[in-house]
Amino acid sequence: MTNKNPKSKILNLLLPWLDALAITAWGVLMLRYWQTNKLNLLIHPNFFGLVIVAGIGFIIIGLFKMQELWKRRRRDVTPNMQHISLFPPGWGSAFLLITVILGFIITPQVFASDKALQGGVTTDLLGSTRVKPQAFRVTVRPEERSLVDWVRTLNVYPEPDAYTGQKVKVQGFVIHPPDIGKEYLFLARFVLTCCAADAYPVGLPVKLQNNQERYSPDTWLEVEGQMVTESLGDKRKLTIAATSLKKIPQPENPYSY
Amino acid sequence: MNQLNNGFTIFLSLLVEAMPFLLLGVLFSSLLLFFVDERKLVEKMPTNPLLGALVGSMIGFLFPVCECGNVPVARRFLMQGVPTPVAIGFLLAAPTINPIVIWATWTAFRDQPEIVVLRVVFSLAIATIIGFVFSFQKDLNPIVQPAIARYMKFNPPAQPETKRRGKRYQVQQEAPVSNLLQSGTYILGGKAGIPLRIDPSVVPPTLISTTSKPLGDKLRLVVDNSIQELRELGGVMILGSAIAAAIQVLAPRDLILSLGAGPISSILVMLILAVVVSICSTVDSFFALSFASTFSSGSLLAFLVFGPMIDIKSVGLMLSIFKPKTIFYLFAVAAQLTFLFTLFLNLHVF
Repeated sequence: MTNKNPKSKILNLLLPWLDALAITAWGVLMLRYWQTNKLNLLIHPNFFGLVIVAGIGFIIIGLFKMQELWKRRRRDVTPNMQHISLFPPGWGSAFLLITVILGFIITPQVFASDKALQGGVTTDLLGSTRVKPQAFRVTVRPEERSLVDWVRTLNVYPEPDAYTGQKVKVQGFVIHPPDIGKEYLFLARFVLTCCAADAYPVGLPVKLQNNQERYSPDTWLEVEGQMVTESLGDKRKLTIAATSLKKIPQPENPYSY
Repeated sequence: MNQLNNGFTIFLSLLVEAMPFLLLGVLFSSLLLFFVDERKLVEKMPTNPLLGALVGSMIGFLFPVCECGNVPVARRFLMQGVPTPVAIGFLLAAPTINPIVIWATWTAFRDQPEIVVLRVVFSLAIATIIGFVFSFQKDLNPIVQPAIARYMKFNPPAQPETKRRGKRYQVQQEAPVSNLLQSGTYILGGKAGIPLRIDPSVVPPTLISTTSKPLGDKLRLVVDNSIQELRELGGVMILGSAIAAAIQVLAPRDLILSLGAGPISSILVMLILAVVVSICSTVDSFFALSFASTFSSGSLLAFLVFGPMIDIKSVGLMLSIFKPKTIFYLFAVAAQLTFLFTLFLNLHVF
């Protein structure tokens, strides 16, 4: 490739534009996720500010470069001396651009039971120290606890009998783990600690009455009932004895934190 | 199809999470290039290899960059003629030894403060040891990528004013270059691969003393440099995240988990997991926390110490500095040291 080659001349003119475009597009994509409330499917709210600022940063850098390219469109710019290429020219930007385009086309998806099962959700998940006890309020009425609150409380004090008879009203989605019987289902929610890459499911088994429907996986339910202790897979587990199961739409923000 | 979409969501989330840190790292490394007089920086670096490695490991505290951002900085350090032990120490320890990461670790392991302290101590120790080991390699040519070696050959680092042992880290200089065409004196520059003569006589003055230029020009150079590094490192990060997401979706995690109770096997599994789950060091403590119940404390530490040093993403990025062989050595020595330290803890302390 020499400057005499017309093809490389065109490349020389086009590639800087491609760079600026790719970087600007990334900034736009980040802000778009934020605007369309899709950011909470990808990362923990703690990082929203960071992503928004970075998105603005990318856009500023990209636009700055475009403006400069437009001003100097007839001049050759000397390449930066200290730069070392890993890829052939244009590849890096192409990767960035392809990913951005995919990001605009494909909507991030809310994880469901298949991911939970694949991540090894078993009844053993209960009592994982993964959920940290947070502001611990003794005064909270049992029926006001969310599913994650219950699992957190259980981590602090794991004896299932301590909760027997307490009222429950929780929301989550249905999982059918292979290792629990037909009269049970597992109600779960995903918890995000940093980003979707480390989303993990937490939940509680639900004991169904004889005539209750065993909803299909991924159905969002509001379960009311009271706490009992059941033996599941040779272990005593805190279980919700359901008095009512109500189908609900998937919440606006399906993840807990 | 659903698996694919899950994988894509993980892939995107890794990228969206990492991009801000990449931007921070790249901006910082560009600012370092144009606003810091590297000659002064090189002068200030201790020439004693052990001390240098320790100082390099600590520099991360001043510049909070995680593993997505520290590679460009380390690369810049090397090219500016900062002694090898300092650059290696920085490369290995900067992702862990910085306020943000320490704070995140503290948040996650508030009930086990020893994890937080030992994470810092082990990372410092391992980075210092490896930096010290690499100080015995005086000639960088066999270990760095040819392009870097060539750059350094023709842009020898600034002479420290103190002549005392300052020569020790000088890259070996060749006899004066004739004006005839030389092999290895051209690099493909960032702009569409225009071959460019790397020769001090044709280096634009902008790069010789950038610190004395007007602010507007500096800013333009910062943006240009940032764009080049974003393009390169962003491309690599995309490949790394894609691999990490694929592994997350395809490898059954419970298989990995079922291995993790013994003092030795748990550490080995955590070392592997540290490589497989290329998670940013600012947030990896929360990830490690999820295994606190099933894995030994030593193995959690192994994850927290080794993970930031080497993960899939940073291997790709490090290829922009070192030859594969060098990375393998870094990788192997860091893994072995982490293994020994944490195994000692598992067997004798916890």
